[in-house]
Amino acid sequence: MSNQKKKTFHIEAFKHRVVVDPKYADKTWKILEHAIHEIYNHNASGLSFEELYRNAYNMVLHKYGEKLYSGLVTTMSAHLREISKSIEAAQGGSFLEELNRKWADHNKALQMIRDILMYMDRTFVPSTHKTPVYELGLNLWRDYVIRSSNIQTRLLNTLLELILRERTGEVINRGLMRNIIKMLMDLGSSVYQEDFEKPFLEVSANFYQAESQRFIECCDCGDYLKKAERRLNEEIERVSHYLNPTSEKKITTVVEREMIADHMLRLVHMENSGLVNMLLDDKYEDLGRLYNLFCRVDNGLSTIRDVMTSHIRETGKQLVTDPERVKDPVEFVQRLLDEKDKYDKIISLAFNNDKTFQNALNSSFEFFINLNPRSPEYISLFVDDKLRKGLKGVSEDDVEVVLDKVMMLFRYLQEKDVFEKYYKQHLAKRLLSGKTVSDDAERSLIVKLKTECGYQFTSKLEGMFTDMKTSQDTVQGFYASHGAELGDAPSLVVHVLTTGSWPTQPSVPCNLPAELSALCEKFRSYYLGTHTGRRLSWQTNMGTADIKATFGKGQKHELNVSTYQMCVLMLFNNADQLSYKEIEQATEIPATELKRCLQSLACVKGKNVLRKEPMSKDIDENDTFLFNDKFTSKFFKVKIGTVVAQKESEPEKQETRQRVEEDRKPQIEAAIVRIMKSRRVLDHNNIVTEVTKQLQSRFLPNPVEIKKRIESLIEREFLERDIADRKSAETHEERKNAAAKRVLTTV
Amino acid sequence: MNNPRDLIRFNVGGKIFQTTSTTLANAGRSSFFGALFDDNWNLNSNSDDPIFIDRNPDCFGVLLDLLRTGELCIPPHLPEKLLFREAYFYGLSDHVRCARWGPFDGNRLRLTSSVSGRAPGDGTAIRAGPDGGCCVAHGCIVHVYDWTLEDHPPLQLDYQIVNDVGWLDSHNVVVSACERLGRGDCGMGLFNAVDGELRHRFHVLHDSQVKSFTAGALGFDSNQHKIFASCKGRSNEYGIGVWDQMTGHQLDFFYEPLGWSLGDADRLQWLPGSNCLLVATLFPRKDHCYISLLDFRAPKSMVWAWSDAHVGGMMEDQKRVRDAIAMEETSSMCVVNEFEDLGFMDLRSSGATSIRWSSRSRLIMKGKHDKMAEDEPCYPKLGFHNGQLFSSMNDSISVFSGPEWVLTSRLRCAYGGPICDFSIGGGRLFALHSEENVFDVWEAPPCALALKATQPERGICLIVGAEKQ
Repeated sequence: MSNQKKKTFHIEAFKHRVVVDPKYADKTWKILEHAIHEIYNHNASGLSFEELYRNAYNMVLHKYGEKLYSGLVTTMSAHLREISKSIEAAQGGSFLEELNRKWADHNKALQMIRDILMYMDRTFVPSTHKTPVYELGLNLWRDYVIRSSNIQTRLLNTLLELILRERTGEVINRGLMRNIIKMLMDLGSSVYQEDFEKPFLEVSANFYQAESQRFIECCDCGDYLKKAERRLNEEIERVSHYLNPTSEKKITTVVEREMIADHMLRLVHMENSGLVNMLLDDKYEDLGRLYNLFCRVDNGLSTIRDVMTSHIRETGKQLVTDPERVKDPVEFVQRLLDEKDKYDKIISLAFNNDKTFQNALNSSFEFFINLNPRSPEYISLFVDDKLRKGLKGVSEDDVEVVLDKVMMLFRYLQEKDVFEKYYKQHLAKRLLSGKTVSDDAERSLIVKLKTECGYQFTSKLEGMFTDMKTSQDTVQGFYASHGAELGDAPSLVVHVLTTGSWPTQPSVPCNLPAELSALCEKFRSYYLGTHTGRRLSWQTNMGTADIKATFGKGQKHELNVSTYQMCVLMLFNNADQLSYKEIEQATEIPATELKRCLQSLACVKGKNVLRKEPMSKDIDENDTFLFNDKFTSKFFKVKIGTVVAQKESEPEKQETRQRVEEDRKPQIEAAIVRIMKSRRVLDHNNIVTEVTKQLQSRFLPNPVEIKKRIESLIEREFLERDIADRKSAETHEERKNAAAKRVLTTV
Repeated sequence: MNNPRDLIRFNVGGKIFQTTSTTLANAGRSSFFGALFDDNWNLNSNSDDPIFIDRNPDCFGVLLDLLRTGELCIPPHLPEKLLFREAYFYGLSDHVRCARWGPFDGNRLRLTSSVSGRAPGDGTAIRAGPDGGCCVAHGCIVHVYDWTLEDHPPLQLDYQIVNDVGWLDSHNVVVSACERLGRGDCGMGLFNAVDGELRHRFHVLHDSQVKSFTAGALGFDSNQHKIFASCKGRSNEYGIGVWDQMTGHQLDFFYEPLGWSLGDADRLQWLPGSNCLLVATLFPRKDHCYISLLDFRAPKSMVWAWSDAHVGGMMEDQKRVRDAIAMEETSSMCVVNEFEDLGFMDLRSSGATSIRWSSRSRLIMKGKHDKMAEDEPCYPKLGFHNGQLFSSMNDSISVFSGPEWVLTSRLRCAYGGPICDFSIGGGRLFALHSEENVFDVWEAPPCALALKATQPERGICLIVGAEKQ
């Protein structure tokens, strides 16, 4: 054992002696130093890699790593000082090129030096926590070249000046720029940021501040936006060409801030070219640009949205309150639809279908449509118009489009129950007069209303359709059983209307001509014979009749008239001349209706089957009427319309309004009871909120009315006021169920 | 291959070698050959003279073969040390290391070397490094070996008794040691594994005052760069300290709750999946076992805990838990008693669960156990690697695999006495014996990479039938 040890000791000692040549390290280092010089002088072809590698290896192996490393630092530093001087000496434009060339040289040299010193890099460097050769080379380059006092500011200024020149439209050497910027990045992200990016952003901010000021003084909004967009794209392109990708966000933020965010309000409100003008002129392109630019900055979109909303509300308000517009309901609704289409198009083309913009548009429409209390009526009239004649020859899909648009307006209505009321009236007229163009369109609209407002809303409307159908069957049945005995009596079509489903009008039956009243009696007995326990009353004010008439020169015409008109005309079968009083006596038609009916028979040019004496526009109680045997018409069928107010007159309107209010009462009461049933105790304010919430799909209940209903319910002892707290109302436990039932049945 | 430009001739120490640049390209750019053939060194390719390299030709031949085939065949006459040195010269040491042993598999391990240490007395701990090296703590010295099993300058922290060691990375080792009485120093240090230099000394602050402490078990969170250590202070400042690997500053301290033990812990294990630290204090350091999981995110809390402190009686005494290891893959904790019975606990339930002992392993050990037990006992240790569970008992290490932890292999060495510690890492298993101061190195044989890569579809399939139990 000891022998063995001795032996190894000897060998080690022997080795040692060979290596410890005092000049060994210096000699080896000289060889390596010389090689480094040669490499920097582009003279490496004579060097032997194997020899240099071996020498470096031996130095490390023999613990001269420290000497090797420090020697490298010294030698490389000296070279870099030289390089730095030659770069400094470069004049003007060649400065960057010289820098770029020297950087390429240094990189290549560094690579070769690293190859030689690979062994040191692998063993000595990590164990002594030194910087690896390549990074050392970069650090030295940074300290001796890039950050040398004569180069640092010159480099920065050169780069910034080149960028400025490019911004002003000159062409610069982008390849060189890219190389230099890449060098800064290679030296570490902190070098890039500190020595270039930070000052670059500052200079850019100043540049764009000045430029945006200049632009905004002389450009209109659209042009300004075009310029801003172009600048933004230029900067993005610049980053992609020769800057670090991480700079994109930073520089675009600068441009956005300087060119958009700081001038936002001024741009939007710019006179004659701001947002409102763009909206008025449908400048989709400008609006789209505005949207895209503003969405990049904080509060940008909300600024656009606010201005757009107030503009729509303002114009909308003018539209619905303009007395001229209100004259023609169809035109009125058409205008609303056009307005909606316009903004829908803007939002889809320019505003990227932004949900928040759509919501703003909807709330604006909701706001101004309800400013006019007659909007529900007008919308119903619009539908009426469309379904009477407007949809003739229009394809099914187009019908759907129109109906969908109407439904959209309907959605904005707060008083949906008012709409329902009018719609019912209009529908009844359409159905009874057989004026409806398309049964499918009618039904389609009802389905839409049903999906929007629920079964309850449309049940009566659907009832009307059912009535129409059953009536048809009944009339067929009537003729099937009595057809033979009727002979050539006038044919009768009866619509049996269920009470409640139809808008009721106080009916004053008139005296029908003898032939007809006999027929009607037969029908009545037939109907009551088939359906027991029913009551049938005649609504002569809603009927129509086709009568054949022969005039003086023998021409025959078929006259399409109302029941009242028919009664009047039938009188002239037995007399040529009748006074107003006589007619009134014979028919017992209410005076207002009779006047209207005579007016349409005698005073409408081209349809005056009667003559009146004296000739005048209005009907007087002392007038006399004659059969006009000189009546001519180029049509065989002559339709004699009744002079009816399309739009409701003021008193009629009041009446409808009153009926609506009346109908609302039980609904409010029902809602209150429903709520109180589940909550038991609730204070007044909360009841009001809950009721409003429950009913808002139909109408917006008036808080005063809710209060009245509560009081009425308390009076009728459905509710009870909590004695301890005067503000809250409490349901009375025992009566609760009974109350609920009673109230609900009145709905 | 017939392209003469592709052919390269070397004269290595007087012996001519001929190869192709394709073969040499396998060495990679950051090697001697990579640099040699770089365009920068415009090699006079037109000259017919072979490239001279002033190195050992025999080793060159072996290394060239390694580049050709990916396999390392060392002739018996060639000392490994010499080959490793040459590999370092050419920058091929990584190639040699990769070719030395295959991916770690507990069931394919073979004993490749036994290294006898110099230190007197029992070993305390052995820790495998990330790239095949290891360090061994003996008394107050830590010996560091690189993957070639060459020893580096030993580490010591004021020559105090070392309690635990651990690798931060392939160059840095943390050593925890006993407090130096009366000096208020010592505790924990960070060393350079290559030159043995002390680079940082960790301090513990209590109420912003530096206090001396004894550091016990170590744990590392490599993702968040944290070091954990169980600490015992002079005045009941017991608990788990946390330091930042980068700055070396103390980040946190988890004080030991009353009636529990943290500062005396035998084992710390960081669980990256659940963001918790396993702290296990075991018999016989304490009278009872305390195993807990600590969550250091605010508010710091003990999220899982188990102890046998409340279970009295002689029956349970047989089943003292001697080591514990958490297996995140199965969300369970494995414990072992002195008879090498494995027990399992569920980590998912926050409350303490009971141990489910698996008796299978015990049956096998029964016969041997009586003979060995009289000597100085070596308590069982556990290890877990890649789905395999390892447990050391006396002179052997058992390998358990599969979801049911079936005993699949047993590693045993002829001499050295019982195994007092073992560690798996860098593709190797190191086992430290307590008596002869020897540690064994177990490796999986290298798989012929080149063969696998070219003929993947011709692999051999073995169908193994397993009997249902």
